Amino acid sequence: MNTEALKELLYKIADDQLILGHRNSEWTGFGPLLEEDIAFSSMAQDKVGQSWQFYKILNELGESDPDTVAFMRNADQFHNCQFVELPNGEYDFSLIRHFLFDTAELIRFTMLADSTYEPISQLAKKIRGEVKYHTMHANIWIKQLGSATPESIQRLQDSLNQAMPYALGIFEPSPFEDDLISSGTFVGEKALESEWKKQIKEIIDQTELDLPDMDSLTPAFGGRSGNHTEHLQPLLDEMSEVFRVDPTADW
Amino acid sequence: MSMTLKSLDPRVDRLGIPEEWASPMAPKESLDQFETYEAFVQMKENKPFEHVGPVHAPNEEMAFLFAKEQYSRRGMFCHALCVIKTENIQTTGFTDNNISIYDSIESMPSGDESESFEVFHLLKRGKQHKYVGNVNAKDFEDALAVAKQNYPSEKPVFNVWVARSEHILTSDDEDRDIWETLKEKQYREAIDYRAQDKIKAFKERTSEA
Amino acid sequence: MYGGGNVFEAMKATALAEEDPQKLAEFEARIDRGEKIEPKDWMPQLYRKQLIRMIEQHAHSEIIGALPEGTWITRAPGFKRKLALMAKVQDEVGHAQLLYSAAETLGKSREQMIDDLITGKSKYSNIFNYPAFTWADSCFISWLVDAGAIVNQVANSKGSYGPYCRALERICAEESFHLKYGHHCVIHLATGTKKQREMMQAAVNRWWAPMMHFFGPSDKISVHSEILMRWKVKMASNDECRQQFLDMYVPKIWELGLTVPDENLKKNQETGQWEFTEPDWEEFKRVINGDGPCNKERLAVRRTAEERGRWVREALLAPKAKYVTPLA
Repeated sequence: MNTEALKELLYKIADDQLILGHRNSEWTGFGPLLEEDIAFSSMAQDKVGQSWQFYKILNELGESDPDTVAFMRNADQFHNCQFVELPNGEYDFSLIRHFLFDTAELIRFTMLADSTYEPISQLAKKIRGEVKYHTMHANIWIKQLGSATPESIQRLQDSLNQAMPYALGIFEPSPFEDDLISSGTFVGEKALESEWKKQIKEIIDQTELDLPDMDSLTPAFGGRSGNHTEHLQPLLDEMSEVFRVDPTADW
Repeated sequence: MSMTLKSLDPRVDRLGIPEEWASPMAPKESLDQFETYEAFVQMKENKPFEHVGPVHAPNEEMAFLFAKEQYSRRGMFCHALCVIKTENIQTTGFTDNNISIYDSIESMPSGDESESFEVFHLLKRGKQHKYVGNVNAKDFEDALAVAKQNYPSEKPVFNVWVARSEHILTSDDEDRDIWETLKEKQYREAIDYRAQDKIKAFKERTSEA
Repeated sequence: MYGGGNVFEAMKATALAEEDPQKLAEFEARIDRGEKIEPKDWMPQLYRKQLIRMIEQHAHSEIIGALPEGTWITRAPGFKRKLALMAKVQDEVGHAQLLYSAAETLGKSREQMIDDLITGKSKYSNIFNYPAFTWADSCFISWLVDAGAIVNQVANSKGSYGPYCRALERICAEESFHLKYGHHCVIHLATGTKKQREMMQAAVNRWWAPMMHFFGPSDKISVHSEILMRWKVKMASNDECRQQFLDMYVPKIWELGLTVPDENLKKNQETGQWEFTEPDWEEFKRVINGDGPCNKERLAVRRTAEERGRWVREALLAPKAKYVTPLA
């Protein structure tokens, strides 16, 4: 197995989860209803916790320890898609992102559960239950708000339109796509994207929302190779503010 | 443009809170209060469901989503979960001082078993209602009469809840994995935080100095 | 976590005289037998009113208390701290939910309570009106403010009202994680690098006065508070809670080489009581009445959550939805 290809795959998964977990954790204490505040916080924790596990696999492959990798890199060294680094906006945008991203994530982990690379397939199997709840949560919310009041429908529609080019950026092909597919490590972004489109449509069709014409959109690529929006570096600075006071200290 | 509130919390800064919200708001014209659902957790496969508390939610599906995280986010203590809309639960009065509520139920089962009901008992004031079983009866009152006959209890029962079986939303067996957690989730548990060694080492270090 | 120092509302002595004497006797006999009161039981108006007030304030304290610590969620150092702090703040929101539910069983809806909070009608614990300047402040809160809360909550969990006791049992179980986590964080700072130690000591210096205020002024013994004690609404005096806290935690602070900014603080070996400089109760009153460093921000954040969440609730609220109080 090509280790570079493997690392690239692991980094993008871990970085996506770390950054989105962070964004989602910003809602803790500010949610639109008490019970939802609690549920959304759990999902943010799951994401950060999962990213930690992926960084541990990277650590075994010779990368630095998870805390150093997560808190000491600069934006251009991050492999997350731009979608996850965008600010939270209002709850409509956060929910739409949660729906679009987590649907992709559940499919990805279901696919990775069959990976020939044992540490990945084991981890993917272990976290599938968590991600299953996330999509259950997302689907129920989108179905409800996507067919409730004119305001909620409009808000979700606007967020969906805004989010879609970025969401397509999740599937930016890796330079190692062929290696990953031929070695049976991962079936590849194309297969993931087409399954994702199918599942997204299935839910959106049950609402008053319209799915933007995806073929006419330009996906927001670049994140996987370290090209990010202006939002990522400030977020990273914030995340590591205390850690960087003394990176050698035991916190 | 109005000023926004400055905070030590970068999250709050990003909310861009208009400064006028620092003054008390007028009371809401109408309260946007959701309906109430009671949640019950089954901790292990062979244990009965126990009442854990209520959630407010706009519907049954969301009540389930919410109850899952509010009452079973520490996943290892949950095998299954169910929710019942509070208004669909019929309750008896309460008794005390070792008197059972069933003593005041005199009617006999009607024999009409056309509907299915679920029965919960309170065996100690201050504790949780626990599931005892399912009875077939004509209506709520009849269900109590059947329950009295089917579930004779040595201990007094202080209060009974009855709900139609169709009004209960229970987690699917195939979704059991939503409670599976990574062993690393221990960060939510007190047991994960031991640091006596550090204190000891610190004391040794400072007494030498 | 919980702000102690309940200020019990003085009610007219006549209120009790208007209650049905036979029902009152049965009610008191039940409490004397050690049985809990449940929502549908008959209870005196005074009992109901004081409990609603107390549990509601407790709930508000949890939801507002999530804010000073939340300040550090995005900046917590390293995976383990980050996850733990997220989970801890989440627990506080969860506690608010449990407590609002317990108060609701007494007949006040949650939305009414939240409305009273954001209109400024209801109070919450004073200590959350102080800012968390550094990471070490959040560690102080997690350890010692929660420790103070636990002293209070453990006492209240032996009270007479069933739903409140059940909520507190769940809460206390989770607080044991908060306490250990907070202690763990403080130990790491206090025994760490020079910079870490300085951060921690500065936080102790900042938070000591609010911590002493936390338990409230000395209780005045009155007929009123005697009744509330007899009914097991009030389970321990403010002074008892403060003494217990000092007894349990001052030695733990000292063993980490940290100092407490009160040169008069010591345990009187003869009386077994802790002696300390009398806290500044004028400041306490000023902050309670809205003039603390963060009162405005705390409420503004809650109002924002309400305002910005309004469209969500409006979209989901079924027109025919009928609110009923929780059962237990």
